[in-house]
Amino acid sequence: MPLPLLDAASSVFIAGPVSMNVAASRPGGFPALSRAVGCRVSSDRRHVTVLVGAAMAAEVIEGVRRNAAFAAVFSDPPSHRTLQLKGKDAIVLPAEAGDAALADAYRAGFAAVLEPMGFPPAIIHAFLAVPADDLVTVRFTPSSVFQQTPGPHAGEPLGGSA
Amino acid sequence: MKITLDAIRECLEGVIPGNIATCAADGTPNVAYLSQIQYVDSEHLALSYQFFNNTRRNILASPYARIAAIDPHTGAHFRMSLHYLRTEESGPLFENMKARLESIASHTGMSGVFRLLGADIYRVLDIEQVPGETLPSPPRRNLLAALRACAEQLSAATDLDALLGKLLDGLERQFGVEHAMVLMLDEAGGRLYTVASRGYPSSGVGSEIALGDGVIGVAARERTPIRIGHFTAQYSYGRAIRDSLARQGGAGIETEIPLPGLPDSCSQLAVPIMACQRLLGVLYVESVQDLRFGYDDEDALVTLAGQVGACIRLLQQAHEQPLLEQPDETGAAAVAEDPPPRHGGQAVSLRHYGENDSVFLDGDYLIKGVAGSIFWALVSDYVDKGRTEFSNRELRLDRRIHLPDISDNLEARLILLARRLAERKAPLRLEKTGRGRFRLCVDRPLVLVDAAP
Repeated sequence: MPLPLLDAASSVFIAGPVSMNVAASRPGGFPALSRAVGCRVSSDRRHVTVLVGAAMAAEVIEGVRRNAAFAAVFSDPPSHRTLQLKGKDAIVLPAEAGDAALADAYRAGFAAVLEPMGFPPAIIHAFLAVPADDLVTVRFTPSSVFQQTPGPHAGEPLGGSA
Repeated sequence: MKITLDAIRECLEGVIPGNIATCAADGTPNVAYLSQIQYVDSEHLALSYQFFNNTRRNILASPYARIAAIDPHTGAHFRMSLHYLRTEESGPLFENMKARLESIASHTGMSGVFRLLGADIYRVLDIEQVPGETLPSPPRRNLLAALRACAEQLSAATDLDALLGKLLDGLERQFGVEHAMVLMLDEAGGRLYTVASRGYPSSGVGSEIALGDGVIGVAARERTPIRIGHFTAQYSYGRAIRDSLARQGGAGIETEIPLPGLPDSCSQLAVPIMACQRLLGVLYVESVQDLRFGYDDEDALVTLAGQVGACIRLLQQAHEQPLLEQPDETGAAAVAEDPPPRHGGQAVSLRHYGENDSVFLDGDYLIKGVAGSIFWALVSDYVDKGRTEFSNRELRLDRRIHLPDISDNLEARLILLARRLAERKAPLRLEKTGRGRFRLCVDRPLVLVDAAP
């Protein structure tokens, strides 16, 4: 069995208090886009699960259900460090026990990262607000990982096939 | 209600970075962060193209994008569908985005990384508000009311000096702008000269900046407003002035008046003053606060500058009317003048250099250019003929004065000259005696030395 694409440091990074955005594709070449509100990585680092709001991410969920193609980008605002993962086998799953707490912890952690940069926590909590009963998850196997920190090397694959 | 692009412009300022999703030809999605979203008009916006990355590759293969932006005051979250149209690699929009990108780069530690290759223009297909919570909008100054009050004041001005005074008063009182300056174009020299300012330790009247230098010079060259929200060394005064000096090969340093300006300026907005599609000058405002000026401030000041331009043009035309309609300006030379009283005291030396019409007063730089040639004509007539009364009309026709053309703003040069004399506490001053007329008042004997070749 090949090694997982995601190394240990990257899996800690994407599950941390970083900005998270996800995309899928809809028919006719139209992309779908949403913010995510948390991320967990399986213990063998082969599967990544992101938490989204069903209402907020409705079009992404529809796209994933159609064709299983998925992209997720993770960025640390103070350092600009950014990683994008892509998968071809994404599925939509219900939230598990503990996901609501994970989303709450994520929001608080991300707001704490942004507060010293001049962003009031209330703003962060507002645009990341997802009712606990609205949480769903998208699980995928990363098939490619891209370094996306701003600069001329942004977009270069770190592993997998582009 | 349909959400319009102009209603959500605040979200495009990039305070909270936006995102973009695109699809490759095979449908593989891609998601990335946006450095810059620029409002173009009610149906279009522009994104910065900086690197040939996946987003770029995708958009050339499939022109549809989805972007998200968040209002930094309320947290309101919007998503838009876009259709890529074209890329602009020069021109006003490109220069505007280039200046703003540089400011964003400086603010985020990305100087030298961000470089604008093009402005990608997109049509906005739809806008939706993403379900979520929002905070109440903070109360803000009503810019339309400020604009109206300011405009009413401007229309009461009867000469350029009063117009500029009312403009700077209005900016301070109605818009809360504490640091502002007005620069006029010297078309022949390809430069702008400061004619009025407010809120600086020294007025800097007479200081110059070349077209294309800094925020002010780029706004003038491109005839477009330039607005930045964070300090950037690339567009700072120090840089602009150093560049300008380097181009002159180090010459003329002694005739350099420092441009006024805040050393710790963060927000800057330069708006061209236009009339009949001609550039007359630039209105410039700045603040030590980040993101002090938004899209609405830019709209208000562009509108105000339009009125200033029209007023300047009207005042100029009033001075170009036939003689009969201008009784105050007629026959200035024909009026019998009493010989001016001769003053005692130590003589003042005035030295004129013909190559740039610079004039030095007791060895210190006073003025140059067109205003320098006016001054030299005035003091020559004073010494040779004992004249003290002058009219704008005769100056406009005087061959000794190197006015670029008849519609040049002579009044602006006279304001500049009068202020320089006052600021230098020179023993000479200009006093207004009527519409288009003034008197040269001299307190000490003059010794003229013409160093012209």
